[in-house]
Amino acid sequence: MANGWSIFVGLAVIVAMCVGAWVFAPKGENQVLWRSSLILSFVSCYLMWAITFLAQLHPLIEPRRSDLRKEYVHH
Amino acid sequence: MAPSRDTPFRSADMSMVQLYISNEIGREVVNALGELGLVQFRDLNSEQSAFQRAFTQDIRRLDNVERQLRYFHAQMEKAGIPLRKLDLDVETLAPPTTTDIDELAERSQGLEQRVSSLNESYETLKKREVELTEWRWVLREAGGFFDRAHGNVEEIRASTDNDDAPLLQDVEHNNSAPDVERSFSGMNIGFVAGVIVRDRVAAFERILWRTLRGNLYMNQAEIPEPLIDPATNETVQKNVFVIFAHGKEILAKIRKISESMGAEVYNVDENSDLRRDQVHEVNARLNDVQNVLRNTQTTLGAELSQISQSLSAWMILVGKEKAVYNTLNLFSYDRARRTLIAEGWCPTHDLPLIRSTLQDVNNRAGLSVPSIINEIRTNKTPPTYLKTNKFTEAFQTIVNAYGTATYQEVNPAIPVIVTFPFLFAVMFGDFGHALIMLSAALAMIYWEKPLKKVTFELFAMVYYGRYIALVMAVFSVFTGLIYNDVFSKSMTLFDSQWEWVVPEGFEKGTLVARLKSENYRYPFGLDWRWHGTENDLLFSNSYKMKMSIILGWAHMTYSLCFSYINARHFKRPIDIWGNFVPGMIFFQSIFGYLVMCIIYKWTVFWFDPANPQQPPGLLNMLIYMFLQPGFIDMPLYPGQKYVQVFLLLLALIQVPILLFLKPFYLRWEHNRARAKGYRGLGERSRVSALDGDDEDGNGNGRHSVASDDEGVAMITQDLDDEEHEEFEFGEVMIHQVIHTIEFCLNCVSHTASYLRLWALSLAHQQLSAVLWSMTLGPALKTTGIGGAIYIVITFTAFLCLSCIILIIMEGVSAMLHSLRLAWVESFSKFAEFGGWPFAPFSFKQMLEESEELKEYTG
Repeated sequence: MANGWSIFVGLAVIVAMCVGAWVFAPKGENQVLWRSSLILSFVSCYLMWAITFLAQLHPLIEPRRSDLRKEYVHH
Repeated sequence: MAPSRDTPFRSADMSMVQLYISNEIGREVVNALGELGLVQFRDLNSEQSAFQRAFTQDIRRLDNVERQLRYFHAQMEKAGIPLRKLDLDVETLAPPTTTDIDELAERSQGLEQRVSSLNESYETLKKREVELTEWRWVLREAGGFFDRAHGNVEEIRASTDNDDAPLLQDVEHNNSAPDVERSFSGMNIGFVAGVIVRDRVAAFERILWRTLRGNLYMNQAEIPEPLIDPATNETVQKNVFVIFAHGKEILAKIRKISESMGAEVYNVDENSDLRRDQVHEVNARLNDVQNVLRNTQTTLGAELSQISQSLSAWMILVGKEKAVYNTLNLFSYDRARRTLIAEGWCPTHDLPLIRSTLQDVNNRAGLSVPSIINEIRTNKTPPTYLKTNKFTEAFQTIVNAYGTATYQEVNPAIPVIVTFPFLFAVMFGDFGHALIMLSAALAMIYWEKPLKKVTFELFAMVYYGRYIALVMAVFSVFTGLIYNDVFSKSMTLFDSQWEWVVPEGFEKGTLVARLKSENYRYPFGLDWRWHGTENDLLFSNSYKMKMSIILGWAHMTYSLCFSYINARHFKRPIDIWGNFVPGMIFFQSIFGYLVMCIIYKWTVFWFDPANPQQPPGLLNMLIYMFLQPGFIDMPLYPGQKYVQVFLLLLALIQVPILLFLKPFYLRWEHNRARAKGYRGLGERSRVSALDGDDEDGNGNGRHSVASDDEGVAMITQDLDDEEHEEFEFGEVMIHQVIHTIEFCLNCVSHTASYLRLWALSLAHQQLSAVLWSMTLGPALKTTGIGGAIYIVITFTAFLCLSCIILIIMEGVSAMLHSLRLAWVESFSKFAEFGGWPFAPFSFKQMLEESEELKEYTG
């Protein structure tokens, strides 16, 4: 499901959204405002998601805890 | 090649215009332009003092009207009549004609006289009333003394009969007198009766005692009811006194002392019958006075409440009218031709609108002479006019708080609309807190209109930034989901990528997780399995630190790109080749490389069983890249040595390019122009195409046209602030050296500065974890009725502290840090901030800004 390729799938989605934002931004003197704000938001959010995803892609450390009860460990 | 319309991307195109207006409609034109609010007039009479200007008389007259209106307001406040405020959102005032204003002036003149005469008579009557009341008290109290004293006369006599006291020798003479003379006059004792303020009684008594050497007998009584001082309208406590003394001189002295002490002396007859008559008379007069007083007050009240209905409107009308005349005073007035000439800045794209407004005014006035509006060319820097709407207004304000953008450079507020709230959210990321903030922002936007009237300053500030709060909250919801944090707890939205490795017969002990599958990763945000683990911070710190660096790099690269757009817009290719390109290469070859390495390191499967490797430390890698070029501690990828040396050299080469290319290019360009015979535009640049010859040694003054012939236009140009500076190589070089040093050092320090993103988000998360563990955490473990009460209490504490500390305080701190990232880290890459703000003549703005008129508008 979600593996390394997700980054590129996400990128494709974001590019599509950016293009959509560019095309469908309401006309008028605030068009530039719509375009820049929407695209910038999409890119920022994608960047953050991608960073988070990549950081967990090949983790160097594993979660470790010692306060778990026996009944809980398989959840 | 101007764009077809103004966008928020740059400040609007501005034009310097000249207006020729017939004198008769000057006032109407300025009125119409004030409603429009698009023209900033220049002062054409700067060498004239305020008194010499053409319309000073009118302003004086309006000042007088304003004073009268303020007087009415003061009277209304005194009488406690509420003012009907004018809600400018609902009501509009038609622009007044000159006759309206004249009528208003006349009317307020008349009203002032009426109100002040009413006031005067009211005050006189009030004074009279107080006097009569005091007199009545004196009569009443003094009467008591007399009645008591008369009873004692016999005793006094008896006591003095035997004694040969010289003081009472007269008494003995009159010993045989009949009953009528059983009075004080018979004893040659006079008296003074009056009223004095209670505070002064002691001093009064002492002074009398000292001056008269004890030769007096003073009686006094407090007046139980407080009396009103008609001058100040304050209540005072007074005493009645009756002083008996011996001899005319002494009595006169007492009178004088009483007057000098502020006491009122009243005439009291010692005969009780006469006194009774006096009391009756005083009572009758008091009644009359009170009747008249009541009538006066109702008349005054009626008058004032009638005024209160329209006072606000009048005040605003007069305020506007004054602003109009003040503006007219900026115009050059040609008495000979009865024309007004104005000069000012206005947005180029609004010129047609201004033109049609002028036409309208002209038509309405039915004037045959048209008003002329003329665009003139100038070498002056136009003002920066950034149009805003209610969404961008607050963002623009936080940018303007830093400085005014240079005319036509990229509006720094454009990226700020997203980057400022986003970077805030990176620090504030908590889903729960974000939702509370979001609902607050939405509430403020939903009840926008009613909340606008709230005048509480702190709230007004938050309300002003409601759209910023909205965007910040929306991004915080997103980052909260990414951090998987809701009030420091995590959400199990998706399957975890980890599972615990449980040994056989596990009872208690340390568990380590392993990846469930090679092909599944937690799809959105941080895996919830990390929550509450021992090495949670180890992982999240590394992740957040790297994220800060990457976001910082992206933010700065993005900002740097605007400097390219600016250079292209201003047609300064040297800024591209001498500043933008080397700067970009320098930045990317160090920090772009670092970011690439961070991302690359994430994508490598270091513990692949087929080919296990040690992951290198990126921090050490970067340090060695500078300290020992060519030395690789732990390799990240093959050929790393050569790449790093190459990048380092590439970055170093950029420094001399940054340093020297631009100044030397500018010098070369300057010398080439000189060689071709061009000279600088000179200190005098004449704008007029029509008059080239009247160089009267007063090039920056205004030329009066009165004596000139028809063809000379009134073109004015202040040339005192020179725009064209002499080219000086040294200065350019120093400037560039500073820029280079600043840029290179800032690349490092600004990148490090973005680590605040990590620090603040860590602080926020830890604080909210601590809050949970100190309030709700332990409460949830308790049971029974006690536990329920415990939960109620701790939940209240949890909610309040969450709102106060985690949302408001942490929010403000994250906002300030984000503001700094925008102002310093981002703006320093592209914005010059060398503009001056456009401040058009606008009634709307005037009414909003005027403190004085604020109390009249609702």
